[in-house]
Amino acid sequence: MSMALRLYLSNDTSARAAGAGLLADAWSERPEVQLIRTSSRGAFFLEPVVERDSPDGRLAWFRVIPEDLPSILSGRGGTPVRSIPFLMQQTRFTFANFGETEPLVLDEYQARGGLQGLETALRITPDAIIEEVRVSQLRGRGGAAFPVWNKWKVAQQAKADEKYVVANADEGDAGTYCDRMILEGDPFRLLEGMLICARAIGADRGYVYCRQEYPAAAATLRAAIHKADEAELLDVDGEFFPIEVVEGAGSYVCGEETALLESIEGRPGVVRAKPPYPAQSGLFGRPTVVSNVLTFATIPNILSWGGAWHAALGTEQSRGTMALQLGGRVKQPGLVEVPFGLTLRQVLDQFGGGMAPGSRFKAVQVGGPLGSLFPASQLDMTICYDAFAQAGAVLGHGGIVVYDHQTEMVDLARHFMAFTAQESCGKCTPCRIGSVRGVEILERIQAGSGTADDLLLLEDLGATMKAASLCALGGRAPYPVLTAIEHFPAEFRNRLRQ
Amino acid sequence: MQEQVKEILAQEKSKPPNILKALLLLQEQLGHVPVEAVPVIAHTLDVTTAQVAGVLSYYPDLRVSAPGRHLIRVCIGESCFANGCGRLLRTLQDSLRIDVGETAAGGRFTLETMSCAGNCALSPSMIVDRDLHGRLLPSQLDALLDHYR
Repeated sequence: MSMALRLYLSNDTSARAAGAGLLADAWSERPEVQLIRTSSRGAFFLEPVVERDSPDGRLAWFRVIPEDLPSILSGRGGTPVRSIPFLMQQTRFTFANFGETEPLVLDEYQARGGLQGLETALRITPDAIIEEVRVSQLRGRGGAAFPVWNKWKVAQQAKADEKYVVANADEGDAGTYCDRMILEGDPFRLLEGMLICARAIGADRGYVYCRQEYPAAAATLRAAIHKADEAELLDVDGEFFPIEVVEGAGSYVCGEETALLESIEGRPGVVRAKPPYPAQSGLFGRPTVVSNVLTFATIPNILSWGGAWHAALGTEQSRGTMALQLGGRVKQPGLVEVPFGLTLRQVLDQFGGGMAPGSRFKAVQVGGPLGSLFPASQLDMTICYDAFAQAGAVLGHGGIVVYDHQTEMVDLARHFMAFTAQESCGKCTPCRIGSVRGVEILERIQAGSGTADDLLLLEDLGATMKAASLCALGGRAPYPVLTAIEHFPAEFRNRLRQ
Repeated sequence: MQEQVKEILAQEKSKPPNILKALLLLQEQLGHVPVEAVPVIAHTLDVTTAQVAGVLSYYPDLRVSAPGRHLIRVCIGESCFANGCGRLLRTLQDSLRIDVGETAAGGRFTLETMSCAGNCALSPSMIVDRDLHGRLLPSQLDALLDHYR
């Protein structure tokens, strides 16, 4: 029998969009090839990537087309994965398995240290689990950066007939995709994090609220839940712990935790006033820990290696690593996991590789559609929660989008405000009415009939929305618009009626 | 239609009744949620028509009319904005002779935008039915759409 050569090819949605699906179709019938569909390493500028084993570890071929097969089979022209600078300079903990394993093979997950965190959690008391998370100083990675242990403690101490664990997989911030990668690429890591949380707070059920735009993620996760069930992992203190995947229906504000809970209950995703916080009264009025996918996926390592290990990474107030997601006009867009503490410039240069050919830097936006814009003069900003808070900005979910010289700031500002007008849940007036008024003003300026008073009005409107909105959508919406005006005033002035 | 709606809703057994799940199930099987069905949905789930209408009008993905045979959703998220999704969208509008939200003559395509496809490292992106396409150039669109008859 002739030995087929094992070739590794990502099955990640973006890798498939880059051409991995085409390669799989072209090669699936070739007897000399055995295709292993892995997660993606996140170096998306190189996808589709094909890898094979070698004495020096994996060898990789980049931007592969079907006709490249003969050279891959002969071993010509491959690059050792260990020598790819984009990957070498990263500190991969949460994303350590990416590109290595088949997402739905539990044995592979376990062989690389998976389930050790859960084993620890089952051995120690719930209080000890929460203590470990407290020592880790992990803060929520979805955007709000709230201390994770604190939510767990509140939910643990609440008295109720049922408690829930909810993973927020409604990754709506444009420019972010790390949750999608985890759901598709290492789903057992998310489940392990949720099970550890369930044991800590004494939860009865788990939910993953997954956005409709991620069908492959939902399907992979459901398959992973099935496998975890078969392996009898879905067990908390001797009771079956069911985990259900609930799909959204295209509403951005459902990524806000209380709107998300409303949506799981089947109602319009309208924000609830806080307090009470979900940890006190959440899903169906019961204590509920709601955390982002990336947050839960960070938990297993903290339990396996200890909270102190995690706390030793990063900066004073931002411990651990962050999954940064590069997009826009950088040369090398992709996933970058590094400890907090690098500057924006370092990330854009070392990992982004500078600007895409033909592009000149204009501004970078951090933290999704509600994040502030930074001009070239502010690139020495440190990537950590405090430095961003001091600058009135947010790190959000780690999305970093670079705009080049071709981006018109007035058009971009209108785009931001229109997004909020479209997505506002309508519960509070500043957001519902303010965003519509904001769009009207910016469209006036776009059309050349705006006046200097309109710019003052925008600032005024922004101040009201910041101060009086019920959630971060209205509260943060003015930031990208006002930072665009602050850093590129001439572009706005030039469009005013003379 | 009433019987068909009731039959489909019999598969949705959440307690208390879950309106969103029920509507998503209907849409999955009927292609859309007919407005005329709102009273029977409300009756079957034992909720008010206002509650059903509230959920139906709130979620962007719930549709009250059938889309064209193929649904094109152009991503207008920030990374796609930076990478020229505007040109992509205008090219589609011109070649299909429709605006966003409309269905082309003959019912072949419905054109929509979406706020992020999560494919930001391969911008600009669009989704046709369930197929994600990235690194798109306006010049590639004709050939791409030829695959969808």
